[in-house]
Amino acid sequence: MNSAGTSTGVGGGGRSWPSRTSLSASGKRIQKELAELHLDPPPECSAGPKGDNLYNWVATLIGFPGTPYQGGIYFLDITFPIDYPFKPPKVVFKTRIYHCNVDSAGNVSLDILKDGWSPALTILKVLLALRSIFTNPDPYKPLIPGIAHLYLADRAKHDELAAEWTLRFAR
Amino acid sequence: MVNDEQKHSPQIPKRSSPIQSGPAEINGQKVDPIFSPRFRSVVAMAGWDEEALLIASLRRSPASIPAVVLNLDDDDSPKKDREENKKELKIDQNDKKMEDGEKHALKSAVSCSSSAIPCMDKLREELSCAICLEICFEPSTTACGHSFCKKCLRSAADKCGKRCPKCRQLISNGRSCTVNTVLWNTIQLLFPKEVEARKATGVLNSREAEHESPARVSRYSVRNRTIEALNSPEGGSHSTERRRRSSQNIGIRIVRPSHSGGSSSRGDGTTRRRRGEVLPVQNEDAALALRLQREEFMVAFRGSDEQHRLARANLRAMATRAMNGRIRNRAT
Repeated sequence: MNSAGTSTGVGGGGRSWPSRTSLSASGKRIQKELAELHLDPPPECSAGPKGDNLYNWVATLIGFPGTPYQGGIYFLDITFPIDYPFKPPKVVFKTRIYHCNVDSAGNVSLDILKDGWSPALTILKVLLALRSIFTNPDPYKPLIPGIAHLYLADRAKHDELAAEWTLRFAR
Repeated sequence: MVNDEQKHSPQIPKRSSPIQSGPAEINGQKVDPIFSPRFRSVVAMAGWDEEALLIASLRRSPASIPAVVLNLDDDDSPKKDREENKKELKIDQNDKKMEDGEKHALKSAVSCSSSAIPCMDKLREELSCAICLEICFEPSTTACGHSFCKKCLRSAADKCGKRCPKCRQLISNGRSCTVNTVLWNTIQLLFPKEVEARKATGVLNSREAEHESPARVSRYSVRNRTIEALNSPEGGSHSTERRRRSSQNIGIRIVRPSHSGGSSSRGDGTTRRRRGEVLPVQNEDAALALRLQREEFMVAFRGSDEQHRLARANLRAMATRAMNGRIRNRAT
């Protein structure tokens, strides 16, 4: 699914590009990133275009061992804006997760996906950052304060709940 | 083209009319048996005088005059001249882009990592722009020491705030970033293909963005310069004058093939062709005409270096225009 349309899938997407022959700057950059991801895939995650549209990707993250998310497979939708990389990509969790930085709609509160974005960042770095919030949730900038509170107050209970959710939604 | 030529030589009809109307005068002279009437009328319109024709006809082997082949690719000025003739260089580069653009565009992704230097991949990584992930094109270096394509850095400063994309330090003047010359030259030396490809795509993009009307204006101006270049050589006054007249008349000959003298001669030609006896003569005449034209070009291009360069530049511009047109047609 994520390896199919590497260099060919540009033409018939949902969005319209300037032209087929000369790829836009964002399209070129996304293609480059895709090629790099293929060449040197990061551990425990993968990403690639959903279908023909280069700007809509799907990514998978595998719950990091040693965390309550261990064994879970999390799907994410990544949508690139047309002026990528000058604007951050949108990342949404498609798999439900018990995490103080991910709300029920799947939105992630990650600094580098908002104000902290820099055009020098790549999807690879975003994936690594997402992986790191699996191991280190940030309870001080939570999207769901309840979970953050529990994480700070009763870590064992939090982990138990998270593992339960992993079992229920991410397997 | 027609209008243009006529616009620039409004005095020609007057001057050439006596020659056109006077094939009888030529008829009376010794030239008569040598040339077909059609050729004579064409010659009259071209402004070649009988003297030149006679001289030329004495050595009737076309091989005696070499064909003028201008090498449009090679810049005649050595590297030293580059700084002086940046405009010239630009035209030159544009042209190369045009010619190689498609090829490079095709294999831009599959670039030359098979170069002599073993650490080429590392170099490529090192010299890539973090924003577009390609080899830096006209790299600009921030105060904090990070280099990006000038365009990329500018866009980043515009859209993401004036901070270095790599380290988030403040960029003092994101708008007026300068090219890191040493780095840029190094990149051009190490990755010539990538740089060419990038230039080609840049041209393509700019062409897409270009409006129709300004392009036309520039086309006209280029043609004006071509005509000026043809007219400009300052040799002996007489020969220059003749050359100018003839070059202008070439335009007229192309422009109005069916004009007064032409039409009559065409009738002449067809009747004769029906009889089937003139063809060899006409072939010979055509060869002579070709030679005369070559001679003219030889003279025109024998001028000073400056003229030479101008003429080349114009030819390149014409070639570029032709390519542009073809590409645009293909696009639509």
